[in-house]
Amino acid sequence: MIMNKQWPGLFQKVRSLLPFNLLVWLVLFLYLLPILSMLATAMMSTEQLGDKHSPLYPARIVTYSYHGKDYQLYQVPFDGGVKPLALIKPGAKSSQFIDPQHPEAGPILWKGGWKTLTGVYEFHINWQNFTILFHSLPFPAMLRNTLFIILVGEIGVLVSSILCAYGFARFSLPGGNLIFYILIATILIPDKITTVPTYFVYVIFFHWRGTLYPILLPLFFGNAVYIFLLRQNFRSIPVDLEEAAMLDGAGPLRRLFSVILPQSWPVVVTVSLLHFFYMWNETRVASLYLTTTDLSLMPISFAVQTYQSRLPIQNVIEASTVVILIVPVIILFLSQRMFMQGVIVTGAEK
Amino acid sequence: MRILQQTKARQQQAFGEWRYWGLLLISPWLIGFVVFKLIPILSSLVLSFTDFYLLEPGKTEFVGFHNYLVALKDASTRVVLYRTILLALSIIPVQIAASIFFAALLSHKKLIAKNVMRTLFFLPSIIPSVAFTFMWQGFVDPTSGWLNRLILGPLGLSSLNHFYGREAGNALFILSSLWTIGPGMLIIMGAMQAIPTEIYEAAHVDGAGPLKRFLTMTLPLVTPAVFFTLILNLTAVFGGAIMLDRGFTFNSNLSSFDELVYFTVFRTFKLGAGTSLAWIFFIFVMALVVTLFVTSKYWVYYPEPERRS
Repeated sequence: MIMNKQWPGLFQKVRSLLPFNLLVWLVLFLYLLPILSMLATAMMSTEQLGDKHSPLYPARIVTYSYHGKDYQLYQVPFDGGVKPLALIKPGAKSSQFIDPQHPEAGPILWKGGWKTLTGVYEFHINWQNFTILFHSLPFPAMLRNTLFIILVGEIGVLVSSILCAYGFARFSLPGGNLIFYILIATILIPDKITTVPTYFVYVIFFHWRGTLYPILLPLFFGNAVYIFLLRQNFRSIPVDLEEAAMLDGAGPLRRLFSVILPQSWPVVVTVSLLHFFYMWNETRVASLYLTTTDLSLMPISFAVQTYQSRLPIQNVIEASTVVILIVPVIILFLSQRMFMQGVIVTGAEK
Repeated sequence: MRILQQTKARQQQAFGEWRYWGLLLISPWLIGFVVFKLIPILSSLVLSFTDFYLLEPGKTEFVGFHNYLVALKDASTRVVLYRTILLALSIIPVQIAASIFFAALLSHKKLIAKNVMRTLFFLPSIIPSVAFTFMWQGFVDPTSGWLNRLILGPLGLSSLNHFYGREAGNALFILSSLWTIGPGMLIIMGAMQAIPTEIYEAAHVDGAGPLKRFLTMTLPLVTPAVFFTLILNLTAVFGGAIMLDRGFTFNSNLSSFDELVYFTVFRTFKLGAGTSLAWIFFIFVMALVVTLFVTSKYWVYYPEPERRS
């Protein structure tokens, strides 16, 4: 009885929801198509990439064993239709085939270029691209470098940005809001303007080419975007709690750590994730200051970029893009709810 | 308004312990600003008025606006500047339209599995630039790429053969710029969700259809978020550093202005000329940003004029 009552309701619900969701899924499919294309190419063999007739998914041509040797099956057109035959002797004008159904009948002669034929394909993942990649790049060392840069950078950027944001959120500053407007303005200044002088100070004055200092040092002086996000969040916390803490004799740092931070960890997590994605992507500063031959300091993105520019085999390149992609995608899915809420709050507070 | 003033007064009273706490707290950023922004900016401005040549630093002389005039007279520089700005200007409307469309889809009440869908739509925005370039090159590859085999081929459109040509390159650039809209999309979506449902119900009773409701109610109410997104995308396209920025990913294919500046500085070592190019670009971008801010009061909806932080 209950079933009878529920089923029409469920059916109607599905019918009202389905068209809209189908539209969303179609849009999503088209939007993410290059990712699917990349995944497929990364698992393809080099032969398949050169084969115009091959399917879109990773595949290989089915083989047939004849007199102890493996031959590839092709769809050969005859008067009566198309037959899958094993190619034993390829030729430009005519080729010899064996029918797997009747191998005892001997070779069949077929006129026409065998290269125009479509193979008989089966789904097959070719892991070789990844093997090549893991043999040619020192992944453990690169991951260690990346983790080091990200960890030191996170500590530096979080501590400095949180302190600055607290200063901007709760204290009166000389010049009033002017300093805050300068902070916002620095976000809009393109790197181009500052790159040239900074480069020559780092390289000629400090001889820091080939070290990590140019990447890490600026992070310890706060990041304008993160300071802005944190400040907006700190300001939305009521001051009453801080006043109570003050009456108990808590100084500014104590109030920051015991009152403000416990209430704002979602935005702190968002900022650290933004910084993680940024550092995982970072190749611009690295390519200016790190040498392309010294692998001992290279973060993973820069190493893969250098590798890609030297190796023009498309399927191995796509395999390297898959490798570089996995970590940020996993982090995004693990943190999805909090991260996206954090980004939304950013805009709402403006 | 009165409550705001009261809180502010209380705040000042409560935190008037030592006058310079605020300055001390923001000192990391302040030092960083002077060392990494202000001094480099000023020195690059000074450099742009000299003929500084790295291999002969002793012969440096002040040349006034010479570098600027030479750059603006040079036809190839003008073409690159024009093309870069045109490309950026054609990207931004596409990005904004797509952000609004996706935000509308993702905040729709009929959407199943909201969180997963939002994450999937956001996913392209976190893809590292290293992966990004080659992923798109593979996608549009004339023989094996899925763009030709799955979309253009079955539709009977002529397959994209000259992907390294300028038109195809620009089309690809605009298309792939849709992969950077994540933060803006979420911000607009958040603004759409913040709209109270009662006003929709009232409009529904009045007989307004879904499209009319979207155009006359949703869109005007989210203009602040759209404006924020516009600034975000504009800055990102012109090489500023905003959330999840990847910069000009395809610059080498398009010989954009970035490339010209880097070439002048790091290959010919003419620092004076190079920095003046960077400043010309910066002035154009700033003019654009200022225009946007000035015109914003005509199309951005502000609920309470006094509510400004």
